[in-house]
Parts: sequence; structure tokens; C-alpha cells
Amino acid sequence: MTEIDKILVSVLQRRFKSITEEMSIALARTTRSPILCEAKDFVTGLYDARGKMLEQTENLPILSFSLGPVCEYILKYYGDEIYPGDVIFHNDVFSMGNQNNDVAVYKPIFYRDKLVAWAACKGHQADIGGNVAGGYNPNATEVWQEALRIPPVKVYEKGKLRKDVWDLIFANIRYDIVAEDMRAEIGSCVVGERGLLAIVEKYGIDVFESHKDYLFQATEKMMKAEIRTIPNGTYHGEANVYYDGRHPGSRFKIRVDITVRDEEIIFDYSETDPQTNGFVNGTFTSSASATVLTFLQMVNPDMPHNDGMIRPIKIIIPEGTILNASYPKATTFGNHLCPPNADSIIRALASAIPERITAGWNQLLCGLTTGTDQRKNAKFVDIVFLGLKGGSGATKGVDGYDHIGMIDASGGVLDQDYEMFEQQTPHLLLEHEYWRDSAGAGQYRGGLGIITKFMIGSDDTTVVTFGDGDVEPAFGLFGGKDSTLNKINLIYPDDRVYKTTSKDLVENVPAGTVWSQRAGGGGGYGDPLKRSAAVVAEEVRNGIISFESAKNDYGVIVDPDTYEVDEEATGRARRE
Amino acid sequence: MKIGIDVGGTFTDFLLAENDGTSSIYKVLSTPRDPSVGLLNGLREMSGTRKMTLEDFIKEVDIIVHGTTVTTNAVLTYTGAKTGLLTTKGLRDALEMRRGIREEQYNNRYTNVKPLVPRYLRQPIEERLDYKGDVITDLVEEDVREAVQTFREENVEAVAICFMNSFANKTHEEQAAEIIRKEMPGKYLTVSADLLPSIRFYDRISTTVLNSYVGPILKSYLLSLTSKLDDIGFSGVLLIMQSNGGVISPDIAMDNAAVTLLSGPAAGPVAGIAYTSIQGYDDCITVDMGGTSFDAALIRNRTPLITTEGEINRLRLALPMLGIVTVGAGGGSIGWIDEGGLLRMGPQSAGSLPGPVCYDCGGKKPACTDADLILGYLDKDFFAGGKIPLNYEKARAAIKEQIADKLNYSVEEAAAGMYSVINSNMASGVREVSVKRGFDPREFPLVVAGGAGPIHACEIAHELEIPVIIIPKESSIFCAAGMLMSDLKHDFVRTYAASFDEIDIERFQKLFREMEAEGNRLLSTEKIPSERIEYRFALDLRYVKQYHEVTVSVTREAVEKGNLESLVTGFHPEHNRLYGYSLEKEGTPVELINMRLSCIGRTDKPKFLEEDFDGADPAKAFKGTREVYIPSARKFQTINVYDGFKLGYGNMVDGPAIIEQVNTSTFVTPDYRVASDRYGSYTMYLKDREEEFKGRVFK
Repeated sequence: MTEIDKILVSVLQRRFKSITEEMSIALARTTRSPILCEAKDFVTGLYDARGKMLEQTENLPILSFSLGPVCEYILKYYGDEIYPGDVIFHNDVFSMGNQNNDVAVYKPIFYRDKLVAWAACKGHQADIGGNVAGGYNPNATEVWQEALRIPPVKVYEKGKLRKDVWDLIFANIRYDIVAEDMRAEIGSCVVGERGLLAIVEKYGIDVFESHKDYLFQATEKMMKAEIRTIPNGTYHGEANVYYDGRHPGSRFKIRVDITVRDEEIIFDYSETDPQTNGFVNGTFTSSASATVLTFLQMVNPDMPHNDGMIRPIKIIIPEGTILNASYPKATTFGNHLCPPNADSIIRALASAIPERITAGWNQLLCGLTTGTDQRKNAKFVDIVFLGLKGGSGATKGVDGYDHIGMIDASGGVLDQDYEMFEQQTPHLLLEHEYWRDSAGAGQYRGGLGIITKFMIGSDDTTVVTFGDGDVEPAFGLFGGKDSTLNKINLIYPDDRVYKTTSKDLVENVPAGTVWSQRAGGGGGYGDPLKRSAAVVAEEVRNGIISFESAKNDYGVIVDPDTYEVDEEATGRARRE
Repeated sequence: MKIGIDVGGTFTDFLLAENDGTSSIYKVLSTPRDPSVGLLNGLREMSGTRKMTLEDFIKEVDIIVHGTTVTTNAVLTYTGAKTGLLTTKGLRDALEMRRGIREEQYNNRYTNVKPLVPRYLRQPIEERLDYKGDVITDLVEEDVREAVQTFREENVEAVAICFMNSFANKTHEEQAAEIIRKEMPGKYLTVSADLLPSIRFYDRISTTVLNSYVGPILKSYLLSLTSKLDDIGFSGVLLIMQSNGGVISPDIAMDNAAVTLLSGPAAGPVAGIAYTSIQGYDDCITVDMGGTSFDAALIRNRTPLITTEGEINRLRLALPMLGIVTVGAGGGSIGWIDEGGLLRMGPQSAGSLPGPVCYDCGGKKPACTDADLILGYLDKDFFAGGKIPLNYEKARAAIKEQIADKLNYSVEEAAAGMYSVINSNMASGVREVSVKRGFDPREFPLVVAGGAGPIHACEIAHELEIPVIIIPKESSIFCAAGMLMSDLKHDFVRTYAASFDEIDIERFQKLFREMEAEGNRLLSTEKIPSERIEYRFALDLRYVKQYHEVTVSVTREAVEKGNLESLVTGFHPEHNRLYGYSLEKEGTPVELINMRLSCIGRTDKPKFLEEDFDGADPAKAFKGTREVYIPSARKFQTINVYDGFKLGYGNMVDGPAIIEQVNTSTFVTPDYRVASDRYGSYTMYLKDREEEFKGRVFK
């Protein structure tokens, strides 16, 4: 056992972090699919020789807490047949993957012929085979209708490309860019490998091992200290999931019992409803990621992200529930069960830590378009990231964040740049602005939602929608109000309006059709009558709150000419 | 005579360079309300020390190069002009949305940045161009006139115009600008297609607004400064420092105010080139450690790296600027213990007020400077030449109570830990400009500036395995020195999105000619003769369907010959170096996005005065000995202390040692040796690699 140099522990933690950031930059700069390079729907990380997380950079955290478990699975799967120069692909949701489209690359890192660590990354690929381009198939009931399954498979062995394996995989995927983007994922792992080897070469393997273990312990201590600040007890929360894509009107419940016992926290989902017969099902890792990322928003945001952080967190999700479907159920929607899962956790803990939780966030409702860009005679697929980003829930002392998007990304996923959007798709952007009165009122209001309209530019475009939040709005807390609903309408050139469902597949959409989307706001926190009247007046002047809402929701009367608060009338309105 | 003037938050630094090569340093207090007052005070002090009137003195000054933070401060403190924005109807919130990013994902108390233009002054205009720049909807002039009405009622002082896809066709922006010029004469106006005609709407709208927001302030400051200089009879040339490391005439700066937004540290890399090129280096890394922040930059082939993805206060600034990385680490960085029991340093800083505990001005939290004092790197009686006595006991007590006791360490061990952690933070800043961009820091000499920099230099270099460190004679006023060494520089960009096999070579060459003509015009107004003009051609390239580009420089010959193949050869290896692979073998097509041209007007540089050779023995500079902590030995040792002013050309000092000057103290660790060069700068190199480096110092 080498002696621990506590200072070196701090240094190594910083170094791991900066390596995963370097990996992230490399991936963002080289990928082609806008889902990856513009929206950054990917995660990069380093793991120790046993597959335990050293550090991660999580642009979209919902992907991220499955990289470690899969790494452990790969270790078991290959046993002693892991060699320097190997590159392993994985997406299989029945061996700890989180979503079929999230395809991971694992690269073992060897130092003097000894496995010392892993570099890994995982990104949402533009296509992964299956029935529907882009992967979201609301009609699917089994995994094969959704995707090509990639249990761990070596695409390189001992540094040599297995051309036949590579070709087999990409023969089953629609778009050429997916192969290019997987090359970029491999490049990112090479960047991680270079960085980690530099550390091991400098300090030696024994120091690396012992200091890494010490770092895990220190982080575990930090998380335990956070848990200790939550009163002991068992807290119950629930949330609804609407529509499985196949049975109109269907509804499912997520139920969680959260038990806090000194330094340990247990999330028990045993009472959650059974799995659906559609694709609205979670996998264990997608659901557990949702739990972890929601909980991380309630503790010190400055904590290192490694194995120690998750040790005091126990998660129980019985197989066969909507959050942990059994083989071979369809699960592509599973990542998007994060928002209702988060709602159940927030509701459970609201009374225990009212100053640290937020009101409800806008739930994801997303769409994608695929087809042929007739300007270039080339295929395109585009997830409409810029349309999906609603508001976050307010918290004590702080308004919700406007146009942030689903809680599983928390502002880590970006809008496409407008001009790049028009270069890369045939569409014409008509509107992308804050949606007035979309935020839940409160002493601290929810974040604003947005309105997005664009004209579809090519005939025979296929439209897919997936998400929620069209039945129940984001909820307010402690007197704060609920917000507004999501919706996506297609307005055809003949003015016919098609109202999409929250899990829909619409084919043969003609050019000239207008995509009209509303992403709702976040829930408010606290009594709106206590909100600063001057702030309300300023928001009326800026057109994000109407005169009517100022009056009806906030009891603030704003002069229509000067936008000043009418103090007297406001005082009267607020008293009544 | 030439004068470099760097206006900082606390002090305004001056470097006065005489025609015979001698130079002198001046520092006066800054006057934030009107920085030109402090500037004039400095000039007055200079004339006073020469027993001349200000008027007689200024007649002998040929050039003043001036770096100013007035625009930077206006953005950081929201004190810029009240600005109105005209933008395409339906898209007016792009400015505030910032593409929907929340930088701290797990922090629900983290708020968005307040926009520089509030929503009610972001006026939607009916008009539309498609992705190629073809008109879909004509501009509705009535909308512009209505916006003007609002702007007048609201007393708007500056206007920004940015329409969708205007990078491809500027006619709508021009049409709107005509109306603004006519209806709001004299108001500051920025047209996006003039300032930054390149693709990416958010980048362009944010940059355009920044320009209008700071424009009026810079303009009135520069008008006030030039009139003050006129009044005292200055007839030389005044030049302003830009964020891209070049200088520019005040008239041009007034119209493109955003080019000065990150000019503060921009002169550092230029100075770094000057100090390393003397020894024959083409590459170097420069670092500048101040009170709260640490700036690092990398220079290759005597050219600093440029980025177009900069930010100020989380707002995108897409003009070319030096790729300087700033880390929250400085003499004032505070040490603390996190919940897991690990030691951290910064980013909170004690600043200059109350300052570190040892300043004895009310600071309670132990800072980096306190640790430096405990470890013996600073002399409590010779800080700032003895002007500021340091309170050793208080520093000791603070470290004991807040760090050492919590870690179960001695005070010395805790201070050593603070020293080590902050060095590691700074080293990661250096890694960011080097490793993250695919460069190996071990191949670069490290140029270290700033008051506290030389105390930490050896250990930063040690962590990165950098064998040679250069500490310039003017390290405490590094940026003022760099300003005198900067050239005039104008950057241009045009977007031409096309696959390489589809490029219309005539259009390609015409766009470059256009930019060149514009550069020549500007440089001729700055009185630069054509033989002193240089051009740097570059292309932003990517593999087809990628989203992000790699900037690759190309030669004028390749552009003029129109040989597309030779234009693309530099791209593949650069992609591989940066991202771990290239697709050259696969034959993946490459596409062009932007064309860039920098036009550089070479200025006369000050000469460095050479000292006479003084032999290797530093004995006459020997001041005494003191107890200093040696990190590699993990204990205190008695080591030699030298007076930096008495070291002459050729003197060699072996580590471990301390070299003291008024504004800096240099800690030489046992594995390094210092050679004082003929210009009064120190070169420190690893003793066991002396053969590689000594020759450069004494050649």
C-alpha cells in the first residue's frame, strides 16, 4: 500500500475531469449528426480496470450512468480475452444499455500489458436500423422492431479492424454518417487513452490505484454528508405517464418510496405500474440514471462524478415494471420516462427539503423529421431540438430557467443554430420565441416555454413525435401555479390541421406543411401575490407576461402606456 | 520614443522605450471613471522625472500604444449604451436564449445572463432571405420606421441590425441601415454583415449587439483621449490594442468597438514572442499570474493561436481573438476544505481588498500569497520592495485554523498543499491551451509574467515537464511591453459554403481580392506603406457533413493558382492532430465554409538594450540566506537569496535559490539553474539539460 498524498488526490481528480472534457470536445467537433455535434446528446468518461467510474462529462446525463454497469458487463463477458488495441461497441438494452440509439464505444487502456482503465463514450446515433428511420417506432412491441441489437462486439481486436464485423453492423443502418460518427467516438476514446496513460506513466500504477481508491472514498464521504442533511424518513411520490403509443387514453403510474436513513438513501419503485405493451418502457439503467441525475440537482453541484458519489444511493426497480421492462420488450421511449420519474421524486421530497427542490419541469415533447433534402438529393434526419426546450420549475428564491428543456439534460442540450438548421435540413424557420404566459405563476415563476414554427421543405417527409406533457402541465408548488401544455400540430398546405399525439408517426408530409409546436413552461414556486410587482411590470413590458395574467395571476395592475405598476390598484387587487 | 500603456483595474502600467534601446517602467493609480486622467498623470510623471514640461516631453513621443478595458468593463458591469436591435420577425429571442444552454446543469440556482438588449427593444422586422441569400420576403420598411419610433421614445443610444442569412446577402440589412442613418443621425450603428459576414446566427447577433453596446463608450473615451493628447501637442501616432493581438487606429476602433473587448491580456503573447525569439525559439507558452486570474496562451511559429469561439460574461463573441485561457487562480485565490475533506484553491479570490490575510487589511481567509509567505518564497519585509509589510503571524493562524487543523497537517504541510494545488490548477490552464489543442507542452519554453508568476513557475513547469522557463525583465508590466511590439492587424471573413469539387474558383479568388482591397484601404488610412503589409490566408474546412470546421492556413500562391488540391493538403494532418483520426485514406470529401484573411501592417519595434558580459559569478548580487520550503524534499532548507537588480549578463544562479526584485520574487527549485541574459531577463533550465539551453542564452 503506497502512502496517500491527499494533495495528489485533488490533482488527479482535476486531471480526470479535464481528460473527459477533452474527449467531449473532440467528439463535438468531429461528429456529423446535429444530434451529436450541435445538441451534444452524448457522454464521455473514464473507468477503472473494474469498470468503476473515475469521471464523466455528461452533456446529457440520462445516458451516462449506464456506462459503468456496461463496462462491468463487458469485463465479465470477455473475461481474459481483452487485449491492447481492442475497440468494443455496445447498445444492447438487455445487457445494461439504456437506449438502443445510444451506441457506446469502449477502449481498454493497457499499461505495460496490464489493463489499467477504460475510456468510453456514448452518443445518440442518427439511426440504428429497425423499422423506422431515427429509431422512434411507436408501433413497436419488441426490440427487433426498434433496432439492431449490439451486445458487446469487438470492431477492432489487438489494433486490427474486423472489417467483416464493421460491415455487418453498418449494413443494417440507414445513414452513412453513423459509421463516421462512430469513428469520431473511437477518436474521442483515443484522446482519453492518451490522457490517462500520461498520468499512469508519470505517477506509476500503484500510486494511481491507491489514490483513485482514496478519491472514491472522499467523494463517498461527501455524498453521505449531503444525505445526512435530509431528515430521516420514508417519502412517497407519484407521477403519471400518458399514452403508450398504441392504446389511446392509456395511463401509467410511477410510484417511488424514498427512504433516508442517516447516510444512505434508497429509491424503491416496487409499487410502480407494470410494463406497457408498446415502446413506452424504461430499462434499469435509463431509469436509474434518471433517479441519480434528479437527486444530483438537490445536492452540492460541485461534487466530483465518480463511483464514490453513487455508492450511498440504492435503487430498487423490479423487472417487469414500466421502468424496467423484461426481455424482449420495446424500450426506445425509456429515456423519456425521466421527466415523470423526476416529478415523482420531487413530489416525494418536497416536504423534506422544500428549499432545495424545484417545482415541476416542462416534460419533453419532441419531434423529428426525416426524408430527402431535394436541394441536395441527400437524406436528412433532424431531431427538432430547438422546439422541445420548455421551462424549468422555479425554486425558492430563483425563477425557473427559460427555454432550458427536459430535466434529463438540464440545459446541456442546445438548439441547432438557426442558419445551420436551414443549411442542413430543407426547412425554413418561421418562428422561435418565448411563449407569453407559458410559465407557471409564483413568487418565483417557472421558466418560459417557447413557440416554434417552421415550414417543411421536402415532399414525403416523415414526422415522428415522442414525449409527454400534453395532458398534464408542469406542476406548481407551495402556492405556485401549474404551467402550460405541450403540443405539436402539422398545418398542411391546404390548411388542414393534424394534431399529433405524444407518440406519433406521420408519413408523406408534403413540402409547405408548417410544423407548429408549443413547449410549455415550468411550474411556479410560492404564492404569486408575493412576487415583486416591479418585476411583473418589467415582464409585461417585455411581452412575456400579458396585462391579463399580471392582473389575474399576480394581482399586479400595470399601466398600459408607461408600463409602471399602478401601486394603488395593485394593493387593492392583492388584498382581495 | 514609444510608450506602451496598459490600463488595469488598480494600476496603469507604462513602458517608455527610448530610441537608444533603454527603457523605463512607470506605474500610476488607475482612474476608472475616466481612464484618460490616469493616463495623462502617467505622462506627466514621466516628463517630471526628465525635468521637462509635459508639452516638451510629448513632442518627442512618436507612438503611443494603448490597451484599454473600458469596453470589457462596460459589459461586465452592464454600463454600456442603451441599445436597440432590429432582427428578423419571429427570431428576436435568439440573443437572450443563447441556444438554451445552462452552463451548470446540476445547479438549479444558476440563472441566465441578463441580455444586453431587453426584449422590448428587440424589434421584429418583416423580411426573409433563404439559406443561399435569395429573397423570400421583401423588407417591410414600415416595420423599421416603427422601430425607430420606439427607439426614439426610449432614448436608445445605439442600434444593432442582424437579419437571418444576411451573411449571404446584405441588401436587407443595408436597406434598414439607410433608414436608421437617416432617421437617427449620429447614433452608433452596427450592421452584422459588415462586422461579421459569416454563418451562425447566434454568433453573429450576439457579436453585433456587443459591438453596439460598447461602441458609444469606446468612441467617447477615445475622442476625449485624442483631444487631451491634442491639447498637449501630441503629434505622433496613437494605436489601440485589440483582442486579436494586433493594434488598430482609434478611428477604426470606434466603428468596430467589439475588437477591443478582450484586449486586456492580448498583448502578453506578443511580448512572449519577442522574449523567446531573441533566443531563436519559434514557439512558446506564455502565462501571466495576477491577483485573481491566470492567463495562458500558446504561440506557434511566432503566431499566437486564434479562436472565433470566445465569450465575454457568457456572451458569444465570434470575432477572431487570441485563444487565451483564463483560470481562476492568482495570489488572492482562497484555500478551503470541501465536504469530502479535500483541499481546494479558488476560484474565490480575496482580490486586492481585503486581500490575503497577510496584507493585514481585514482579510480572514487564507490565500495563495499567505502560503507563499509561510513557505519562505516571500520576504515579509521586502514585499513590493518593502512598501507593504506582511503579517506572518496572522497568515499562519488562518492557515492553521482553516486548513491545517482540518487535514491534521502542520501549518507548513498545509501551506505546501495550497502551493501544490494552485500550481496544479494553473498547470491545467496550460494544459488547456496545449494538450487540449493537440500540442505537447514539453516542447515549448514557458514565459512567465505577473507579480506572483515567478514564485510558481518552476513547479508549474515541473508538473508539465517543461524544461525551460523565461522570466522577462519587464515581467510585472508584461502587457505594456507587448503593446509596443504589436503590429497593425485587420481580420476579414467571408462565408462560402461549398463542397471542394464544386468551388467556383473565380468567385473564391474574387472574395479574397475583396477582403484584400478592404485591408489595404484601412492600412493606407493608417499610413502603412504597401511594402510593410503582410497577408495571412486561411480556410475553415471540414469533412462533408461535419458541423465544425478546422482553420487551416494556405499560401497566397495556392489561392492565386486556384489549385484546390494544394489548398486542402494541410487539413487532414491537422484534423488528426486535434481529434485522433483523419479520413484522408477513405477519400472523404472536404467542404469549405469560411475564407479568412488577416492584413498585417508591420510597425517599428523598440530595440532591446544589451548589457555587457559580467561573468558567471553572481556573488555581488548575493543578499543573504533564508529558510525556504523545497517541495521535492518536502522540507525547509536554508537557501541563497539574490538581489535581481544586481545580477548582470552571464551571471548564473543555481537552484535552490530566491531572486528578489521590487515587484516579483523568483523561486528557483533545486533542479533548475538560472542564467541572466544580455537583456536582463532570466532563463531557467533543468540543470541536467544545460547543453540544450545554455547556448541559446549566450549565443
